[in-house]
Amino acid sequence: MDSSSFAIFAAIVTSIVLEAAPFLLLGSLLSSLLNVYVGDGALEKLARRSLPAQIGLGLVAGLFLPTCECGVVPVTRRLLKKGVPPGAAIPFMLAAPVVNPVSLASTWVAFQGDLGMVAWRAALVLVPAAMLGWALGNIKGAELLRGQTVLLPMAHEAQEQQAHTPQAHAHEACGCDCGHDHSQPHVRPSLVQGLLEVLRGTGREFLEMGLFLILGACAAGLFKVFLPQEWLGFVSANLWLAVPAMMLLAVLMSVCSEADAFVAASLTMFPRPALLAFLALGPMLDLKLLPAFLSVFQRRVALTLILAPAAAVYLLTMGLGLSGVLP
Amino acid sequence: MSAAVGFFAGFRLRLQDRVDGLCLLCMGGFMAALARSQLYWYFLNPKFSVLTLSAGALLLLVGLALLVRPLPGAPSMGRLWRQAVLLGFLSLAATAWGQAASEPFAGAVSSTSFEDPSLDSAQAPDPEAPVDLHPVRGGETYLRLNLAELYIMLDKGRTDLPPRFALRAMVVRTPKLNAHGQVLLKRTAVVCCLADSLELSFLASGEGLEDVQTGDWVEVFGSLETLSGADANLPKAAPKGEGPSLAITYPKSRIRAYATEPMRAPDFPYLFEFREQEPYAW
Repeated sequence: MDSSSFAIFAAIVTSIVLEAAPFLLLGSLLSSLLNVYVGDGALEKLARRSLPAQIGLGLVAGLFLPTCECGVVPVTRRLLKKGVPPGAAIPFMLAAPVVNPVSLASTWVAFQGDLGMVAWRAALVLVPAAMLGWALGNIKGAELLRGQTVLLPMAHEAQEQQAHTPQAHAHEACGCDCGHDHSQPHVRPSLVQGLLEVLRGTGREFLEMGLFLILGACAAGLFKVFLPQEWLGFVSANLWLAVPAMMLLAVLMSVCSEADAFVAASLTMFPRPALLAFLALGPMLDLKLLPAFLSVFQRRVALTLILAPAAAVYLLTMGLGLSGVLP
Repeated sequence: MSAAVGFFAGFRLRLQDRVDGLCLLCMGGFMAALARSQLYWYFLNPKFSVLTLSAGALLLLVGLALLVRPLPGAPSMGRLWRQAVLLGFLSLAATAWGQAASEPFAGAVSSTSFEDPSLDSAQAPDPEAPVDLHPVRGGETYLRLNLAELYIMLDKGRTDLPPRFALRAMVVRTPKLNAHGQVLLKRTAVVCCLADSLELSFLASGEGLEDVQTGDWVEVFGSLETLSGADANLPKAAPKGEGPSLAITYPKSRIRAYATEPMRAPDFPYLFEFREQEPYAW
């Protein structure tokens, strides 16, 4: 990379990260507030209904329990272990990274107030999420999960495990991201203590998710610097190439769902169906989720969670593009 | 002795939170400083500067909480990795800021590019409201708009295009365009941030454009002329741009200049605002 290319790379990476950082921070703050002040009980009670009701609740739960795909798998596993039925937990896991206030707002801002992009993005995630909720809804939660996590534990859990050492428990609270003292039953913290826990949780979560944002921005920067405009013009001009190319990019870049809209908005040469394929698939399948799925779920379930959303997004976006619904 | 050992053991247990806190303080400080600098526009649309400043302030608070009131936790590769990546990003961002101050991209050179970026606060691009939105030259009335607004109108197939307009742009010359008596008039349009920027351009020829050089800024008073014959393929010969933006030259028309006036580079060479009706963002 010569100095001119490096300067362009540095400027692009900086601008993408700075653009997305406030949204990532807001998501981290909301998540931390929920961690400290709201338990999982409300969702658990609501989810014990008929399968269609479970699916419906799971699809919209992200609006009240905002999370991005970075942390959604351990939350889902916790919900399943607590008895939340898969009919609600699986749709929540797939839909919540997009169908949440922060992600929807960042999409709206990145696409200059284009509500169509926001609505189509949500729809393209809700369809496969509901489909998988229906398919896996009648299986017991325990049968979906692996007996033990075999690959890397999620970052939250790694910290939790370390924090639960005897040394850590000798202190007032553990060092996991939830901010609770796990040696005691959950109690509502005092205002000052709660505020401190919220701030600490926000910081840890921001750093954790920021890692993937920065790496994604670097990938986008390299993409901009090294891919010849002629090649981009060739791929982006052909819907049959543009949609799979953007799906592949979504998996490889692994940008957080609260920030990926800004990356997509920067790829202005691609048609809208291809941009939507990027925006819909990334939060359901990326390089962060692949090991998490394989680690947490039974192999057959994990493969279903990997292949079904990809197939659904491809078919739906191609259908929208070829039918002329989306130019 | 045992008290000292206990202190150091406690300090070590809380070290990871403190390092996290320091990283976040650096990130928050950087965001707040850039939001208040004169070069914010180089990276992001200035309308986001308040958002960046607020996020920077909140990060400072979050970092302070981790630094001052850390919780115990053993170090892990994951935490070290994300701390290293954040610090790496901050180094890259500082390099980019320095680059913007000392050697900006072509098309991003403003009248204030080489001043100390830390001296002035960020502000929205000064619209520099013209004295007259409908200037008259040679007895003809022109409509002032910006190059991106004209491009968007054409792209949308609008039929209510102004017959004569005035716009400001940077000039680009190439040997091939020179041979056809054409120059390129370009502006960089930024929607959200540099990553989504577009370098929009039109071919142009006519009064006053014969002697301008690459990098000159001009205000052109002209109208649109359909490209035909041997000139129809000229837009494909336009340079693709060497900066971070995707370069697009309007393929069907060129600007016929009836008058050209030199001007100094604007304070904000990028275009951040695009209107679809009068008064245009100019």
